[in-house]
Amino acid sequence: MSPDPSHYLVVGALLFGLGAIGFLTRRNLILMMLSSELMLHGVSVNLTAFSQYHGQHDGQVLTIFVLTIAACEAGLSLAIILALYQRTRSLDIRLWTTLGEEELMPPMADSASREIEPPAQPLPKLVPAGRRPVIGADGHVVTPVLSNSQASGKGAKA
Amino acid sequence: MNWVSENIALIGTLVLLGANILLLFPSTGRKSGIPGFLLLPVTVAGLGWVFLQPTGDLVRDLLFYMASGTAVLGGLLMTTQRNPVYAALWFAVATLGVCGLFVINSAPFLAAVTIIVYAGAIVVTFVFVIMLAQQEQGSGYDRIPQQPFLATVLGCLLVGTMLLGIEKTFGPDSSRLSVDRTALHVSSLPVENDLGSPGGVGRSLFTDYLFAVELAGTVLLVATIGAIAIAPRRPQGSL
Repeated sequence: MSPDPSHYLVVGALLFGLGAIGFLTRRNLILMMLSSELMLHGVSVNLTAFSQYHGQHDGQVLTIFVLTIAACEAGLSLAIILALYQRTRSLDIRLWTTLGEEELMPPMADSASREIEPPAQPLPKLVPAGRRPVIGADGHVVTPVLSNSQASGKGAKA
Repeated sequence: MNWVSENIALIGTLVLLGANILLLFPSTGRKSGIPGFLLLPVTVAGLGWVFLQPTGDLVRDLLFYMASGTAVLGGLLMTTQRNPVYAALWFAVATLGVCGLFVINSAPFLAAVTIIVYAGAIVVTFVFVIMLAQQEQGSGYDRIPQQPFLATVLGCLLVGTMLLGIEKTFGPDSSRLSVDRTALHVSSLPVENDLGSPGGVGRSLFTDYLFAVELAGTVLLVATIGAIAIAPRRPQGSL
């Protein structure tokens, strides 16, 4: 029986990393939850290792609390996953990348910012080189209407 | 460069682990994951050889290698298995390995509780929901993982950082060896047989952690009520 907990810490780190990789790559909602449980396993291994290293019960008691919270989390997450499944008939996480509902009004901040935003002004257009600009009645330069051949040719930048 | 040559074993093992995970992932181009499965024992043995040198106690080493190998193998296959039911069962295998580690860490009560709660309740419920939601042969979101390369690189970097920290703290050339165990205020060790027994854990739970136990009970109650409230209902009102 070795008092050195480093072996257990290595196994705990590996389990934690595998759980993290699973959580990032899985697209199935249920398996994402299972991957997070694997990460909790890694933490539990560390806690019991330190509990034995120090000869005290605290790590094991903390592991019992981890177990309790994991059970709560599993129950709640399964309820949420079932509710989501009944809406889409699928467990794909990508269906929930946008959480807004179409039948609802657009969000408040969005509509408010749209009202404040000034109306878009038309960009000024330059007269093609070598022509006399035509000044309209309002003092602005009247943009000459180009024919197709001119627009595709040298006047494309106008 | 000096740093790389010093830690070549760690980097090589991490690259091996990442390559194995990437090979095990189901991809559209490859039909079978046979190279990944062939590489699997090499990876696990390499991890054990680099990081888990035997301590000399034969029985303890044997039990430790069996338990940790089961846990890591179960975790690897759970992460990469494309069938969700198999993935849940590999998670149960990983749980059994972790419980073996608990027993070696003199926490037999905790091992029993973990098996009952995880393998008996959580995995069964998850498998039940998976089978309830199972679609026709192999749904697309199980076959195609999401950003496998990026996630594997990130995960291996995370593991590498943690392993470096462990090596710095507990390695042969660390300053920890000068720290005597009596300096850690653990001189008043409890009776050695008491550690991990139901009596000892219960005494600690209901004396030092009594308030936390009450809180945990409240959290359980709230979670139960919340799950019942959230769970979808049929229009008739029955579950």
